[in-house]
Amino acid sequence: MSGDANCERLREVGPELALGVLSGRERAEAVAHLDRCAECREYVRQLTLVGDRLVGLLPDREPPPGFETRVARVLARQTPASEGQRSARALGRTRRGLWQGARRARVRLAAAAAALAVAAGFAGWAVGTVVEQVTAAPPPAVESEPVLVGDMTAAGHGGEPVGEVYAHPGTPAWIFVSVALTRPGTRYTGTVTCLLERADGASVRAGAFALRDGHGNWGIALSEDLNRYSGARLTSSDGTVLATAQLRKAQVLTPET
Amino acid sequence: MIFHGGRAGGRAIPWRPSDVYRGVSGYRSPVGPLPDEALLSGLVAGDPELAAIFVRRFQHRVFGVAMAVTRDQQLAEDVAQQTFERAWRHAQIYDSRRGSVMTWLTAIAHNLAVDAVRARRTEPMAPEDLEDLLDTVTATPEEWALADEASAQVRAALARLPREQARALMMAGIYGMTAQQVADAERIPLGTAKTRIRTAMARLRTVVAPAKRGDHVR
Repeated sequence: MSGDANCERLREVGPELALGVLSGRERAEAVAHLDRCAECREYVRQLTLVGDRLVGLLPDREPPPGFETRVARVLARQTPASEGQRSARALGRTRRGLWQGARRARVRLAAAAAALAVAAGFAGWAVGTVVEQVTAAPPPAVESEPVLVGDMTAAGHGGEPVGEVYAHPGTPAWIFVSVALTRPGTRYTGTVTCLLERADGASVRAGAFALRDGHGNWGIALSEDLNRYSGARLTSSDGTVLATAQLRKAQVLTPET
Repeated sequence: MIFHGGRAGGRAIPWRPSDVYRGVSGYRSPVGPLPDEALLSGLVAGDPELAAIFVRRFQHRVFGVAMAVTRDQQLAEDVAQQTFERAWRHAQIYDSRRGSVMTWLTAIAHNLAVDAVRARRTEPMAPEDLEDLLDTVTATPEEWALADEASAQVRAALARLPREQARALMMAGIYGMTAQQVADAERIPLGTAKTRIRTAMARLRTVVAPAKRGDHVR
């Protein structure tokens, strides 16, 4: 498709992209084009400004009595030091929860790899590779577990994967995300929100975790039916999309022992 | 003003926290209200008094956005509180070049509110709520006469839109509804919903960012 044709397509979907209501596949295509076209980036920037101005027209409202005091008290309690301690405790709980979830899942090879990765802070984690290898050469007698996997790509930069998403749609379901946004302009330090997306563009917040200099690993148990979701995205505090992933269904096949 | 954490050559905040303390402790408003950015740096510094002033200054805006999108007082209160907590956690990465503190907080509140509604409801909005909200944002009461010119122009442009375009734009831009959801709600084909959103955005864009000669996308 020529550049002009891509620009024409961008003109059609740009308003929905700027308003944050474009479905996952269309958004990925549009973002990939923006990476190559400065004029379309400016076009979408202007449309985003329109969206901001539109939200800015919403009327102010008087909050409930005591709101100011309650919020100020919460903020005062959340000093940077206590925040770090809380995050560490939460991470410890999450890791223990994931370990227990992994044991329940009975996905022997994948669970062992995932649990080891969790215990090691996800370093060298390659469950996606395990899934690929197993599905490419199925052993003769197996147990089968459905999973969702996807490569994460940087918003606006496309191309090479910058991380992985691996989800197990069981009860409870669990999801693991590993990301390394290391290209210039993509590095981000702060809390990111992980949103799961349905094919119709609707999304649900899975949770939040910290990125440091673009790097972060995270996992959580969920009560959601993950089979309903076809994508995931990471957003910064102001809602800017940092990375997206299309989830595809796969099977982890494990030899009977 | 540079206000962007981690950028080479820039300062994370425009004042050292100690400067803020010297400037306000003991006499909080000697010559007028503190700039919004100064209050934000007060959050970074962990000053409880500045945090309270920050909440007081922006709570009506944040709660208004949350309430307009969620239409649920309890949910709006949760969203508003999350907005301030998120602002507190990310105060150091606020970038004034991308907009005012008010715009930044409004965007956070809006994103959180849309996500909250998507997570909890099957119907993003009620038709009567949309009409009421559309009437509200296109009205020009006396208290808005002093609003900034850009907002007034957008408000006027929105009021001039054909009603069906304005509805589609509000559904997508305020309630975060996809074009398919707009089509379902309005009982129109998907293509028509997309066209309404696109046309409405194009008209408002001419107000916000007038076309320059050579624009290849119009």
